[in-house]
Formats: sequence, C-alpha cells, structure tokens
Amino acid sequence: MGKRSRSDAVAYVSMVGPALLVYLLIVAYPVLNSVVISFTNFNPIAGTAPEFTGLANYRRMLQDPDFWHAFRNNMVVVGISVFGQIPIGFVLAYILFRKLVRGQAFFQAMVFLPNFLSTIVIGILWRRIFLANGPVSRVLQAVSGDPSAQFTMMLYPETVMIPIGFALIWIYTGFFMIIFLANLQKIDLGLLEAAQIDGATEFQVFFKIIVPMLASVLLINAILAIAGSLKGFDLIFSMTTQGIQRDNAMVLPIFMYQKAFLDRSNSVRFAYGAAISNAIVLISIAIILFANFVGKKLGAQEDM
Amino acid sequence: MKTRILVAAMLVMALGLVVAGGGGQSQATGPQQVTLDILAYGDNSTREGQDWNRLVAEFQAANPTIRIESEMLYDQAYHQKVEARLAAGDVPDMAYMWVDAQGQAWRDSNQFVDHRPFLNPDFYDLSLIDPMGPNGEIFQVPLGTSNITSVLFVNTALLSELGLSVPRTYAEMVAMVPAATAAGKEVVAFAGAEGWVWNSCLLGTVVGRVSGDGNWISKAMAGQYKFTDKPFVDSLAFLQQMVEDGVLSNSVVLTDYGAALSSFVNGNALFMLDGQWRAGGIEDPALQANVQMIPFPALPGESTSVANSASGVTSVGYGLTAKGASDPAVRDAALKFMEFFNSPANTTTRLADGAIVAPILKNFQAPADLPLLVKEKANFMGRMGVTSNVVDAFVPGEANNVLNTGMQNIAIGRATPAEVAAQVERLARQ
Repeated sequence: MGKRSRSDAVAYVSMVGPALLVYLLIVAYPVLNSVVISFTNFNPIAGTAPEFTGLANYRRMLQDPDFWHAFRNNMVVVGISVFGQIPIGFVLAYILFRKLVRGQAFFQAMVFLPNFLSTIVIGILWRRIFLANGPVSRVLQAVSGDPSAQFTMMLYPETVMIPIGFALIWIYTGFFMIIFLANLQKIDLGLLEAAQIDGATEFQVFFKIIVPMLASVLLINAILAIAGSLKGFDLIFSMTTQGIQRDNAMVLPIFMYQKAFLDRSNSVRFAYGAAISNAIVLISIAIILFANFVGKKLGAQEDM
Repeated sequence: MKTRILVAAMLVMALGLVVAGGGGQSQATGPQQVTLDILAYGDNSTREGQDWNRLVAEFQAANPTIRIESEMLYDQAYHQKVEARLAAGDVPDMAYMWVDAQGQAWRDSNQFVDHRPFLNPDFYDLSLIDPMGPNGEIFQVPLGTSNITSVLFVNTALLSELGLSVPRTYAEMVAMVPAATAAGKEVVAFAGAEGWVWNSCLLGTVVGRVSGDGNWISKAMAGQYKFTDKPFVDSLAFLQQMVEDGVLSNSVVLTDYGAALSSFVNGNALFMLDGQWRAGGIEDPALQANVQMIPFPALPGESTSVANSASGVTSVGYGLTAKGASDPAVRDAALKFMEFFNSPANTTTRLADGAIVAPILKNFQAPADLPLLVKEKANFMGRMGVTSNVVDAFVPGEANNVLNTGMQNIAIGRATPAEVAAQVERLARQ
C-alpha cells in the first residue's frame, strides 16, 4: 500500500468509523438482539437467564387472532397510502404544476399544512371530530333531523378504518404532492408544449408523458408509503380511545406495543414483542420487494 | 498533509466530546452529596407536575447535600418507562408506585420493600394506610387514604329545575329519563369511550352490590369464585340494562373523558359518574355549590350489607425501591424527601386541589377555607358504605383488557354478558 492510499484509508476510516460505530451500537445491535430475544423466554424484569424456546413466540403470534386483525388493518393502511395518498398527491401536484387552478401557492400550502403539525395533535383533532355529538355527528343530526343520530363508524371493526383512512389521506397526501411537484418541475416544459402543438389533450399529456416520466418517483413514493404505513403508530393511537376503538383500529405496531408493554400477565412479553417487531420488519421487506418488482416490470428505476 | 490535519482535528473533536461528557458526570455529585434517582408521575402542564418541580427545587435548596434527579412521566408513558427501566436494570431509588395489578412490574422485579420499619409513626398515621402486602406491608407512602373510584356527582340545581330530587334507588334514576330527555339533557355523563372508566368507575361498585360482597373480585382471582358465576354475569348485564333504560345514553361509547366532564359542567347532564378525583375538574364555584357527591343509588334487590358501597383502591404514592433502600444514605435522603413531600402544607395543597380524599398524616388539621367540593368529599365519605374492589386492581393484563372492551361491546349490543364473562374467566386463569 502506497503512502497516498494509506493516508486515504486512514481518512476514510476516521470519517466513516465513528458514524458506523454509532450505527452499529444504536441501530444494528438492537435489531440483531431483538431477533435473538424473539427465540427465547427473555424476562429481564424477573432477572432470570433467557432460555432458547425456538419458534414458540412466532407460533403464538400466528395463532393470535388479534395479530391477523392488526395485519388486516395494516394492509388497509398500506392500501390507503399507496392507492389513496399517492394518486391524489400526484393529481394535485399535476393540477398545481399545470396551473389548472388559481392561487397555486395557497393550495400548495394548505395541502401540505398537516405535515407541519404534530401527529398526536392531528390525532386528537380527528378524535374530537368523530366523538359523540362532535362536528360529524352534528352534521348527521342536521341532515337526518334525528337529534340522537351519531357517527358510529369508530365503534365497529368493519368500518373503523374508513374515518382513519380519511384522516391518513388528509395528513400525508401533501407530503407526496410536494415530492411529485418537485419532480414535475424538472420536466422540460418544451416537451409538453410540443405534445400539445401535436394535438395531445391534457389527459394524454398526463398519462402518455408525465406518468411514464415519473414512474421512478411513483415507485419511491410507494416504498415510502409502505414503510410509513407499517411503522405507523402515533396517529391511530391518538385518534382512538382506549378500549373498543383502539382494539378495532389496531395495527401491528399498536399490537406489538400492547403485547410487549401492557400485557403484564405475560411474563415473556418482551420476547413476544420482539417477535412481533421482527414480523413487522419481515412484512415490510416483503411488500417493498414486491413493490420494487412491480415497479421494475413497469420500467421504473429507483432514482429521482 | 491536509488529510493528516483533518484526521488530527477529528480525533481532537472526538476526544473533546468524550471529555465533555465525562466532565458533566464528574460535576454531578460532590463527595458529600447523595443523589436520589426518582421516577415521578405527572405532567408539566398540570398542577400536579408543576407542584412536583416546585417541591424538588425547594427541597434541594433547603438540603444542598441531597441532589434529586427526577424523571417525570404521565399515564401510559410512565407505565411504559417503568417496564423499560426495570427491564434494563436501571432501577430508580424511589418512584411513584401502584401496588395493585398495575404495579406488577415492581413486584416481579422484587423492588417492593416494606416501609413500616422506616416510617415515623409520629408523622404518619399508620392506621390510615391500607395494607399492601399479605402481612400488612406498606410498599409506598400513599398520597392519601383509599382512592374512591366510583362517585355519582349530582347537579342538584339542574334536578330542582326539572322538578326532580336526588335519587336513592336506581329505579328513581330510570324514572328521571323522560324528564331529562324532554329537556334535552343526558341523565349520566359517563366517559364510556374509555375502557378503563367502565372498569374503575362502574363495574367494581356494581359487582359489589350485585354479589353482596365487596371483595368478590379479589376472591374470584383467588379462585373462590368464577367470572362466569351469576353475580359477575348479572353485573355485566346491568351495564347493558343502564343503556337500555336510557340512564346511559346510546352514544356513551363515543364519549371520551373530556367530553363527559364537559357535558356535566355545562349543565347538559344531571349526573356524572367518575372517580373522586374528578371533583378537581369542576372549577366553577357556582356549580360547586350545587354539586352533591353520592354513592351509586341502590340497585334492585341489593343486600343491606353493601348499601351505599363504592369501589376504592389503595392510593398511589411514592415509595423506596429495594435498590434505594439498600443504601442507608440514599434511604435516609429519600425518607427525608418523602416527609417534605407529605408535609402538612403540601398535603393541604393536594387536598385543596382535589387530588386526595383525606390525608394519612398524624393529627392533621384541615384548614377551614377548603373549596366546597373538598368539603363535599368528607360528606361523601360519611354517606358511603363499605369499599368494594376495583376490578383492574386485581384482574391482570389481557383479561382486564378483554373485560374493558367487552363492557363497551355489551353497551353497543355486540357481545353478551355471558360471552364476555367466559373470555375473562379463561384469560384470568392463564
């Protein structure tokens, strides 16, 4: 190794080393430890030595109907994110980009505004909106003429994800809109003008030019949406009250939290919680790989 | 050359960070100082939290050799932190403790320690402190006497306005429904959207009344009864009955904790069912003058032995952990701080704020100028019969969660009392 390359190596290690060390200690070690713990009866509160229990925690998880209920809700959230927030964000960005409405700056700010607010604050806001005699119930009472009418979707497992989905779209659509808008602004306007001179309609411009050009951005947004959906905890937790609402709206991170921290009757709750966390990671990886596969089939590349 | 300078500069910076970190620690404790690590309960936005910060500052100013490092958390965040710290072996010297099922983590980690040998009997009235262990142990110094979790707050002015009077029986409450409905009022404001409210503020009282045994829940957990037995199933059925009778509104499961209080203080409900601590939320002096606190009215066929009973639980409070008690210097500092925290002046503040029902101090003299509802609490204690078990103080974890959700499902007709009772029985025995 020459003098030059040795000094380069020293510089490289000194610059990358500290960050790598921090990453290994704070991110990699807990993740790997979580995998190890999930195969044991780890009970640090009792202070007993953990014993290897194989797949017992994973078997228990798969046999728990609450896991499948939370999984189903999580898939609904993924669906709302990928097929709700992203298309709406894309269309809104396109409308702003093509100046199809007046006051673009105002609309851009308004749609993005929820991203400046704390998710907990937003959750409490929406919870109040859907409460007994809250604003939505008042509208129902006014429309139906029945003073006892209430908005009850939050009470039933079949319907609870509808108001939550509405809130999710309200919050996160602006985030995706901004990403689309930033990428739309990189498109050469001459290309669009040429298409219009050649007789292309707005519809054709959108589907034949814009969408293919932003396919990679769509893919990246889909990955961001999936990852965000699977780790989402705060909004649903704060939007629901403890009991029937939160149980009905339970997603995997809340399921993990309840099993790992609140189920004090389970002496191996931390190990069980670790197993659920690992399952969330595996499900995220599987869905992201699937999204990548679909994206590649459609010709999208992960570059922006 | 530039690379070497860069590498050297980075090493110096890294060294500086390490030294700065270590320096901070070395300044933390002097040779004569005792450091108390306390896990406190509260919220900086509440009176309780602000008082804590003030008390810590005052105590440290008066005791320069004792340094307090406290971490204050509230509600779920607190319970989660207890679990995390105990799991990590980072045990505080002193903490705000529940001694029932909610304090299971302290018990599992053997951190409960009997305080009886350490408590000054001239300062604390030990006869007012509920026993917390099988041999009468005291694991923490409670903020006050038993915490009554089920109180019916009555708006007497509103009742008079509607030509009604304070009910003595449940049947009398049912008879009030048409008048209340005609006036556009709720009968009972109840935060039924919160599962724990059904559990803490209603079910314990109902089980005690229906079974005729205030300790029915603890006996069931001990195996003497089953949750599928008639008294428990009938108690759950009574909740359903309350909704069907209109005593609880059909939107009760959509009413959160703030909304129930709001409904009562704004005169939209004749009654509010909540814990005694909720008296502190009724701030309007005009309303306070018209609020009476009573035990839940008599249920049909209830035994006289449980007449006017209400559910109650040992009050929470600060206690030494086994780790804190193991070091005499830390233990003495903690006991000194506890006496300061529970001083007559500070206890009076807590009493006036509505945080406690009654103090546990020896020869405590309550000032005459306490708020009306604090005085009303004393009246309530005079009206109250025996104390019955609060369900979540005995039924642990998953069984309790299923019970909370089950009661809400019963209220909206999505589950039957027998189904919920069977689930609770199965999970409670696991």
